[in-house]
Amino acid sequence: MAWEGSLSRGTGVARAGKGAFELPIDLPSRIGDPGAKTSPEELLAAAHAGCYATSLAGAVAKAGGTVEHLDVRCTVTMDEVEDRGHLIVSSELDVRGRADGIDADGFGRAAQAADEGCSFSALIRASAAVSVKTTFES
Amino acid sequence: MAAERRATVTWNGDLMRGAGTIDEVGSGAFGPLDVSWPARSEEASGGKTSPEELIAAAHAACFSMALAGGLAKAGTAPERLQTSAAVTFVPGTGITKIVLTVRGTVPGLDADAFREAAEGAKKNCPVSQALAGVPEITLDAQLA
Repeated sequence: MAWEGSLSRGTGVARAGKGAFELPIDLPSRIGDPGAKTSPEELLAAAHAGCYATSLAGAVAKAGGTVEHLDVRCTVTMDEVEDRGHLIVSSELDVRGRADGIDADGFGRAAQAADEGCSFSALIRASAAVSVKTTFES
Repeated sequence: MAAERRATVTWNGDLMRGAGTIDEVGSGAFGPLDVSWPARSEEASGGKTSPEELIAAAHAACFSMALAGGLAKAGTAPERLQTSAAVTFVPGTGITKIVLTVRGTVPGLDADAFREAAEGAKKNCPVSQALAGVPEITLDAQLA
């Protein structure tokens, strides 16, 4: 991550070590209209969705099902908390899935197990609300 | 004011051989990005990203912005901050360690004051607070 200038007028670029991405970042992208720039919270939303999706793929297989397709949408919210400044207050997962060899109840249980097995869910649950909403598409 | 940030991932197939894509993010700044389990747990990632790499980017960016803000507030705005975050992921355990390294070009500031400002940013940035459960977070802060 390279940053140039002050917080309110400066800009940064986040680069992945293995070259998978290179992204511009600035303060308005974080608390205002993002324009086409990303923010730490958007990167965390992508990380949480990715962590949860891999965890759910594993949990469905463990329950005897075969994943056809999973769609995971994650919304991370940062808010100003009195006396504590800006904090990440919640991460909401909205999951739609299609799988063979498992029914809606089984998928619901796998979704729960996936939340427990996703290391990032466990990590941020210590300071933020994590919720999972699931829809099984048979 | 609350700020909401959104990302969508699609996964096809099982864990070990299947693969996912970060299809889109709310800002449209990136995507699609491929993700996979080997990209997460093994050395050679073949151009694919992982949740931990995204967390590293989020932490480095959050820390840099907090440090830029703190330095400017103290009257010594930085010219340039170069931050790296290395996240260690142990399958079955989770994230065990994050190493933050920052090199700063800050006119009018000495090394001790820079280190102190960096420690403050590490403690207070929202991503650091969200990741407070990581067993070990270290910081190496020096002037460039």
